[in-house]
Amino acid sequence: MLPAIHGLNWFLSVAYLLVLAVYAAAFFGKNDSIQNYKRIFLFVTIVLHLFYLLARTIEFNHPPITNKYEIFTVLAFSLAFCYFVIELLTDVRQTGAFIIIFALVFQLVSTVYIDDLVEVKEVLRNRLLGLHVVSALLGYSGIVLSGVYGLLFLSLYKNIKLSKFGLIFERLPSLETLEKLSFFSVVIGFALLTVSITIGIIWLPEAFPDFSYFDPKLITTGIVWLIYGIGILLKLLFNWYGKKIIMFSLAGFGISILSLFLLRVLASSFHEFY
Amino acid sequence: MFLIGISINHKTAPIEFREAVHLSETEITELTEELRKSYFKEGFILSTCNRTEIFGVPKDIVLSGYTDIIELLIRKKAAGGLTKENFRQYFSCGAVKHIFSVASGIDSLIIGDSQILGQVKTAFDHSHDMNFAGPVLKRLFDTTLKVGKRAIKETSIGEGAVTVSYAAVQVVEKIFANLEKRSALIIGAGETGELAATNLFSKGVYKIDVANRTLSRAEELAKKIHGGIVPFEFLNEHVHQYDIIISATSSEELILTQKDVANMMKRRKGAPVVIMDIAIPRDIDPQVAKIDNVFYHDMDSLQVVVQQNLKKREKEIPIVEKMIMEEMTGFFGWYNTLEVVPTIRSLRDFFEDIRSDELNKIKNKVTEDDFIKLEDMTRRMIGRLLHNPTINLREIAETGTNVQEISTRTMIIKELFGLDSVTGTARIDKSEK
Repeated sequence: MLPAIHGLNWFLSVAYLLVLAVYAAAFFGKNDSIQNYKRIFLFVTIVLHLFYLLARTIEFNHPPITNKYEIFTVLAFSLAFCYFVIELLTDVRQTGAFIIIFALVFQLVSTVYIDDLVEVKEVLRNRLLGLHVVSALLGYSGIVLSGVYGLLFLSLYKNIKLSKFGLIFERLPSLETLEKLSFFSVVIGFALLTVSITIGIIWLPEAFPDFSYFDPKLITTGIVWLIYGIGILLKLLFNWYGKKIIMFSLAGFGISILSLFLLRVLASSFHEFY
Repeated sequence: MFLIGISINHKTAPIEFREAVHLSETEITELTEELRKSYFKEGFILSTCNRTEIFGVPKDIVLSGYTDIIELLIRKKAAGGLTKENFRQYFSCGAVKHIFSVASGIDSLIIGDSQILGQVKTAFDHSHDMNFAGPVLKRLFDTTLKVGKRAIKETSIGEGAVTVSYAAVQVVEKIFANLEKRSALIIGAGETGELAATNLFSKGVYKIDVANRTLSRAEELAKKIHGGIVPFEFLNEHVHQYDIIISATSSEELILTQKDVANMMKRRKGAPVVIMDIAIPRDIDPQVAKIDNVFYHDMDSLQVVVQQNLKKREKEIPIVEKMIMEEMTGFFGWYNTLEVVPTIRSLRDFFEDIRSDELNKIKNKVTEDDFIKLEDMTRRMIGRLLHNPTINLREIAETGTNVQEISTRTMIIKELFGLDSVTGTARIDKSEK
């Protein structure tokens, strides 16, 4: 099965590139037939990616969450899958290129650097860890989606305010739709992040002797979770609208991305496994 | 094809002349009778606020027919100042192409005009009802409507707002996802306000209220769109209730200031509002655009949308023209066969008659078996001899738009074989026997 896994590893990057090209062509061009084909391209890629992840799990006898490049490919899958579900549920088809580009970047990095890991730490074979990581990745996918929709909202908002009626005005869905998509993604992301944090709080102290509640990663994750929680409450309780709530969502997105990089450079955490 | 026509439109005459020759339904009926009596075997008249078109198949092939029809129209409408130069004349292919162009909207003042196809259909129906449409025009009508429908369906010639009031709706749709849950206030019940209200009503906005200085006019418009009335004097107390505000009054002073809109936004708790100021001079302080979640647009910014859409429509013209050429080829293919098919038939009859004659001459001189063989052989021979001329003639007829070429070729065949040009029957010179 190993040659198939290696082949798929490269093919997935090509497939995501192709999906991105089709979605971008549909956004910038006017070819109606592409509009119908792009969803099929994405679906086939997601199915192949799922097959790839299952094949890795069976071949190496552990879920592909034991190093950052395995996590990247799962994150790429998770983003593509979440977008596919949103597109199916809402029938908003014009935003795919802006999401798929993230999936492509994660998959591309994974394709280049991923190794065949057979020997992994015992703690990384734990089922609760699997649930913890998968819910965290899906949660972060929701946050990425929310951030992208938030940026698209701001872009369209600015275009309309400045009376620029170009491609962005023409192709993007309405501001109200973008705001709803962003909020919907945040709610899903927040719920999954809550699941991940809960599992972490219960299980991590047992699994790691050097566990600390003041771990930088836990603190930043907690801050991100809090920001999104407050944002959701403000929207639900005080009917916050449009730009104000989107800015809140983007702040959370920015902090989560920033903390990810700062932690890698500045702090050490028990969360470092590789 | 002897189809001729005259056209007066925005390209040939100013609006006052176009208005002067505009024909009502009754006038179209009267003029149709006059045309039938003196000029056309069949025809139709299309008259809208922007164009008047008179087309038909003349009774006699006289080119002065154009002048006669133009003079008849000018005389009938008593339109002084109009000259022949204000009309364009069309003949045969040019006439068909022009009719197709009109129906597809590429000849309209506003390219891709959505109303013209309906107006063309009404003109055709009228001609049909008056028994003024023969087989050729009926076929032309069908093809014209097909061209118009294809242009709408297969191109973007009719897409995008090309009027300011409709452009306002297009912008509103980019802000709110579902207009059925939104409310609108129209300030000013004049022509522009009414158009904007009608557009919003057609888009399903669930509540449209009207405010106007003259109450009776507000009531009149509100009745048309099943809306309510907001007292003009108390406008500021009500504006916060609406998601869409369209202002189109002739007021010289501002109706809503920045302070009014800022207060309105406080009462709306920051909920987005679209303000369209389509009045000149402006009704609303343009500074309101700086307030968060206030989407303010005036005539200038909406004109940008209109101009962009018009440019996009212009880009579609070559595609529609290609479509017109395809349909013209199809139409003339059909038309040409009207002349070619009887010629082919009479040519075959001519050969068949000679064959029968010659077979009859030897019928009693050969055995029955030999006669059957001769019959078979001569049938095959005639079939092979006529195969290429038949196929070539059909091909030219079905694929070409050059009517003259078809006429020349059929004429040569008729002349060479002495075929009867009227009945299509063969004339065999019996003296050879």
